[in-house]
Amino acid sequence: MFRHGSLSRRLLLTAMAFIAVAIVVAAVAVGFVLYRFVQGQIDQRLDSQVTFLSSMLRAGDDGRLSLTGSADGPPFERRRRGWYWQVTGPKNALRSQSLDGADLELPDASEIAARPPPPPPRGDRPPKDGRPKDSPKDRPKPGDGRGPDDEQLHYRIQQVTVSGTPATIVVSAPRGAVWGPLREAMTTLAISLGVLGTALVLAIMLQVRLGLRPLERLRQSVADVRAGRSERVPARQPLEVQPLVSELNGLLDRNAANLERARRHVANLAHGLKTPLATLSLSLSNPERTGPDQLVPMVDLMERRIRHHLGRARAAVLSGPVRTRTVIAPRIRDLGDVLTKVHAERSIALTITISDDVVLACEPQDFDEMAGNLMENAFKWTSGRIAVSAVLDSTMARLVIEDDGSGLRPEEVEKVLRPGERLDESAPGFGFGLSITRELAELYGGSIEFGVSDLGGLMLSLRLPRAT
Amino acid sequence: MKVLLVEDDGPLAQEIAGALRRENFAVDIAADGEDGHHLGDTELYDVAVLDLGLPKMPGAAVLRAWRKSGRQLPVLILTARDGWTEKVDGFKAGADDYLTKPFRIEELIMRLRALARRAAGHAAPSVACGPLSFNATTGVFELNGLPLKLTALEWRVLQCLILRKDVVVDRIELMEKVYEGDAGTDSNSVEVIVARLRRKIGHDLIETVRGRGYRLASGSA
Repeated sequence: MFRHGSLSRRLLLTAMAFIAVAIVVAAVAVGFVLYRFVQGQIDQRLDSQVTFLSSMLRAGDDGRLSLTGSADGPPFERRRRGWYWQVTGPKNALRSQSLDGADLELPDASEIAARPPPPPPRGDRPPKDGRPKDSPKDRPKPGDGRGPDDEQLHYRIQQVTVSGTPATIVVSAPRGAVWGPLREAMTTLAISLGVLGTALVLAIMLQVRLGLRPLERLRQSVADVRAGRSERVPARQPLEVQPLVSELNGLLDRNAANLERARRHVANLAHGLKTPLATLSLSLSNPERTGPDQLVPMVDLMERRIRHHLGRARAAVLSGPVRTRTVIAPRIRDLGDVLTKVHAERSIALTITISDDVVLACEPQDFDEMAGNLMENAFKWTSGRIAVSAVLDSTMARLVIEDDGSGLRPEEVEKVLRPGERLDESAPGFGFGLSITRELAELYGGSIEFGVSDLGGLMLSLRLPRAT
Repeated sequence: MKVLLVEDDGPLAQEIAGALRRENFAVDIAADGEDGHHLGDTELYDVAVLDLGLPKMPGAAVLRAWRKSGRQLPVLILTARDGWTEKVDGFKAGADDYLTKPFRIEELIMRLRALARRAAGHAAPSVACGPLSFNATTGVFELNGLPLKLTALEWRVLQCLILRKDVVVDRIELMEKVYEGDAGTDSNSVEVIVARLRRKIGHDLIETVRGRGYRLASGSA
């Protein structure tokens, strides 16, 4: 199912790539939000301790700081756990019980002042046009440091002035207090996302399998046609493969039609050859009574029939729809050059009046065959003047070939072109080409018409579709 | 008249050559495109018959190569390919005539005679020179209105001279045009033939131009 180059593989790989990207983005986004949330919780807790400390802070006349009560509520009473506070004045410093007499390293006072104020906590944003509840510089600022046991600490620092005495309040929480809950939440999240991703991939595999099932059925139908179990591919198909099936059936119909035509053709050819062959064979078994005079016409007849059928078998139009655009003027000129050379013995004046914008929807080779045969006929019968021209209407073009000869009268041409007599050798000296030309023209949806030319001879006109 | 026949089908080539020789033509046969190209490029011929589907070098390529190197000899394409597109291509490659197989040998002979005559600049099928006349379509010579009986070699020499009447035909060229490629020739043989011809048509018609060749003169008559 997932071999290289398969549709399933392609669909699955794309989906998996998208799912992987989506899960990574989700994990990062959720992780960031969680981090902000945990950090916010801890900051709020530290900030309320800062507020509590600053409300109890007093300064004596000698500039010594003191607290009006105990500030060591939980968790600040637990020793050496990272939850510490320290108030530093010019003369003395007050410490939490948990510090156990150790000192907190403080960043430089001016550096603290230079730090940007933290963003206000969520839900605490000032109204758009109202005054902020408190100015940013009143809020404690964040910081990092190391505790007495060299553990990483997260600080909140505020500088206050109590009765003219400056003091710095630092409250700290262990870094682990942020990472611990975050790690726990992220582990759960990762497991959930993993499960989600796996479920999605499985769902897509199922979807691909189900979605591509009509293709498998289609393959089976085509195999049935090939094996001869059915004639056509069933027409009821999902919307997406319906056009493909229509094309396929069209192709099958065309093949069947071509096959039928080829069979009919071979049958005609066999019939057309076997009769003269039988005569020939009888004549040869009786050599004293037959001479070349009897044999040559039969060989000629067979040759003409073979040429007719080969000409038809070669027709390019039979091999598929015609999308070719054939500019006919240069081809007519080439054919004219050839025929003038072949008939160099007679002085024949050929006039070609065809502009270069006459373009036909016709294979060049087929056009050469049709026009060549008609022009050859004119060269055969002319007394000296031939005119080739083209007339256009909206969808068809008419190639008109006229001569001044006294060859066939129009009613004779009609007789020669009739299907039943198209190989009738009784038409005196008639080129074999007209019947094949007519067949080719009809394959293109065109026709051959004939009449009397102003030049005095025959006028043959070949109607063929114009290129769009 | 000398014909180069380039045809790879042995029996057919022999049939054609036999028929052409019965009509007094000298015939050289080449069985593939390369040989044909070489012969046409180096020997003198009045006309060539060229098949299109040849081994080693396709007929159309042979023809184009001849034309490219300036060989003007008339070429008749003899092929089974009877489509008009192929005919057009053949003429564009430089052919002068085109005949499709199967064909009648009489048709081929007639067309070859016409090609040779036109190549020599005669538009009309009949060429006259004093009491002598030559029908280029049937290949028959007449003297004072009566058919002239000639051997093949005599016919070739006389045909060569009459198609270029009033012009001096080089002795060497005459020899090349009269003898087939593999025939052993001796340099006096042309003189022998001319002597025999003079006995048949009279001594005045063929002039000997010393050191150069012969001329069929119509001026005196």
